[in-house]
Amino acid sequence: MAPIELDVSPAQVERIEAVARFARERLSPGARERDARGEFSRALWDEAARFGLAGLPIPETWGGSGLDAVETMQVVETLGRTCEDGGLVFSLCAHMFASAVPIWRSKDAKQQGLYLADIAAGSLLCANGTTEPEAGSDIYAMKATARRVGDDYILDGTKCFITNAPVADLFLIYAKTDPSAGFLGISAFLLPRATAGLRVVPEHHKSGLRTSPWGTIYLEDCKVPVTARMGPEGAGAALFGESMIWERCCLFAYYVGAMERSLRRCIEYARDRKQFGKPIGKNQSIANRIVDMKIRLETCRLLLYRAGELHRQGRRCEDAVAMCKLWISECAVASGLDAIQIFGGTGVVTDAGVDALLRDAVPAQVFSGTSEMQRMIIARTLGVG
Amino acid sequence: MKILVPCKRVPNPDLKLKVANGSVDLAGTTWQVNPFDEYAVEAALRLTEKGKGGERVGEVVVVSIGPKDTSAQLKQLLAMGANRAILVAGDDSALDSDLVARILRAVVAAEKPDLVITGKQAVDGDDNQVGQILAASLGWPQATFLASILLAADGKSATVTREVDAGVEERRVRLPAIMTVDLRIIGKKAVRNEALAPATAEWEDTQRLASLKGIMAAKKKELREITVESLGVAGGILVKTLRHEAPPARKAGVKVASVEELVAKLHNEAKVI
Ligand SMILES: Cc1cc2nc3c(=O)[nH]c(=O)nc-3n(C[C@H](O)[C@H](O)[C@H](O)COP(=O)(O)OP(=O)(O)OC[C@H]3O[C@@H](n4cnc5c(N)ncnc54)[C@H](O)[C@@H]3O)c2cc1C
Repeated sequence: MAPIELDVSPAQVERIEAVARFARERLSPGARERDARGEFSRALWDEAARFGLAGLPIPETWGGSGLDAVETMQVVETLGRTCEDGGLVFSLCAHMFASAVPIWRSKDAKQQGLYLADIAAGSLLCANGTTEPEAGSDIYAMKATARRVGDDYILDGTKCFITNAPVADLFLIYAKTDPSAGFLGISAFLLPRATAGLRVVPEHHKSGLRTSPWGTIYLEDCKVPVTARMGPEGAGAALFGESMIWERCCLFAYYVGAMERSLRRCIEYARDRKQFGKPIGKNQSIANRIVDMKIRLETCRLLLYRAGELHRQGRRCEDAVAMCKLWISECAVASGLDAIQIFGGTGVVTDAGVDALLRDAVPAQVFSGTSEMQRMIIARTLGVG
Repeated sequence: MKILVPCKRVPNPDLKLKVANGSVDLAGTTWQVNPFDEYAVEAALRLTEKGKGGERVGEVVVVSIGPKDTSAQLKQLLAMGANRAILVAGDDSALDSDLVARILRAVVAAEKPDLVITGKQAVDGDDNQVGQILAASLGWPQATFLASILLAADGKSATVTREVDAGVEERRVRLPAIMTVDLRIIGKKAVRNEALAPATAEWEDTQRLASLKGIMAAKKKELREITVESLGVAGGILVKTLRHEAPPARKAGVKVASVEELVAKLHNEAKVI
């Protein structure tokens, strides 16, 4: 059995308390209104980035905080407990785990020197383009190509559901340099927003994580110098895989914190709200919902920090991370539904914010690899499927 | 410019106060920096900022008197940007405004700051005395309840404003001086050092919070722990606390069925109309 680290050191407590206060006082105010409008605020992004939330795992050499997976989870979980703006946290996480992490892990000194300090500082906002209209779960079937022509590559393809695309300054694009080579035929490219032939069309509003903008990227005869490639040809899929491991554990820490926030609210409401002359929590059917929420929260937290500890130690963790991602997203949906039921009519009033957990959690069953894909990974490690 | 900022830790004011056996039960409380003192640190930092080179010019030293774990609050102020911290060992229950001011006077004698800025009062006891007593005992000018500070280019005086009932009062004060600040001091243009920042300089409309980078930087900063005895101050206090009492519980309200009934009750029972 792998170790689970749940003890928090005094230095970590100091960090967690600073994050909690910052999120409560500076990020949460106005979150419900921004959510209703589907509004991303660059000013708020900048403030969060100045605080240090755009470069948690990036080494201090580039101005990040150099946190390991467990410490990163602690910070993101704290945001879940204290930041009502789930979309903003999602945008920050997509920036950090799906863009900053692969650039850092690529060990491509040239690209790192060009971009990583600005990325960790959040002044360069990133989006990663992997998914395509015809390649979602089956990601290695992507059709985007990068043809080598002399000292250039010509990129063609369409990337959809791309978080941060409408506001990003830098795009990490995965495309095939060798369409016959499958996994090993995928390469990674870094394209500044002004690149000719790169066009972004904002996507429709989504039901959850509404303050996080997303869009479709069209690459049409998009000519970039060879120097835009990150790492060697064919290294793209491995980098993408590594970034997804970070994202599947660390981003989902947000939902663990958000489940705790929702649970506290439900407990308070179940004790205050009276029907038939007594608090509704005195009814076993309401109390049991709260008990189930509590058990989900605690099991999620155990799986989360177990995955984080394995990751920190550099041990094999693909299945532990898959279980963590799968269980957290499904528990968050279940607890989101319980919260609404406990609050009755108020639960579905958008302004009250009770339904936010559910609305933000449903997409979590889809991004970073759907629940079905996570089950497939786990089944494979069990020798079935 | 060297600025000394005395800061106090206070119990989290959002927590419900528990009073038992004649005293306030602080066993389960969490502690934080007194908000007005945090504003004082913000003001002090601004007085060292926005010079031409972008580098801060001057030193901000924070000092607190309290038990050992007050270091947590001082670290937070170092993470905000203060240069150094001094913790004078002391027990909250064995302190009063007079003793605090006498300890601070000794710290001032040792540190020789050009300016002392502190909060107008601590939100626990709300005594509102330390700044005034300290100024009197040092024989320094005092400027209290400040809403703005404009430090003259020569560093010898400051023009300050304070909100009073009739409006805003503007005064000039010679340095060294004691200043106590009110909440408007964290406005965008409330504080400026003419020697450094241009008239157009603006800050955020609030006090800065300790950032992750600030926390890392604070680990390298000095936090010196000293004793009251080492300052040569004798420990007696003048104020004796007899007992604390919770305000009497409020009686439950009554529901009225109509406006007429409400008016009748206000007239006949409450006798307010
Ligand atoms: C909020 C949000 C943000 C996103 N941000 C980004 C981003 O920044 N960058 C990016 O590149 N992408 C992003 N995505 C896209 C995301 O990665 C894809 O939506 C996801 O991989 C699923 O792909 P798909 O939507 O094409 O669904 P499909 O793959 O078409 O799946 C449809 C359904 O079929 C199931 N299914 C598919 N294949 C199998 C199988 N073999 N066995 C069993 N079931 C199967 C799926 O599990 C799912 O239930 C984002 C998505 C969301 C919701």
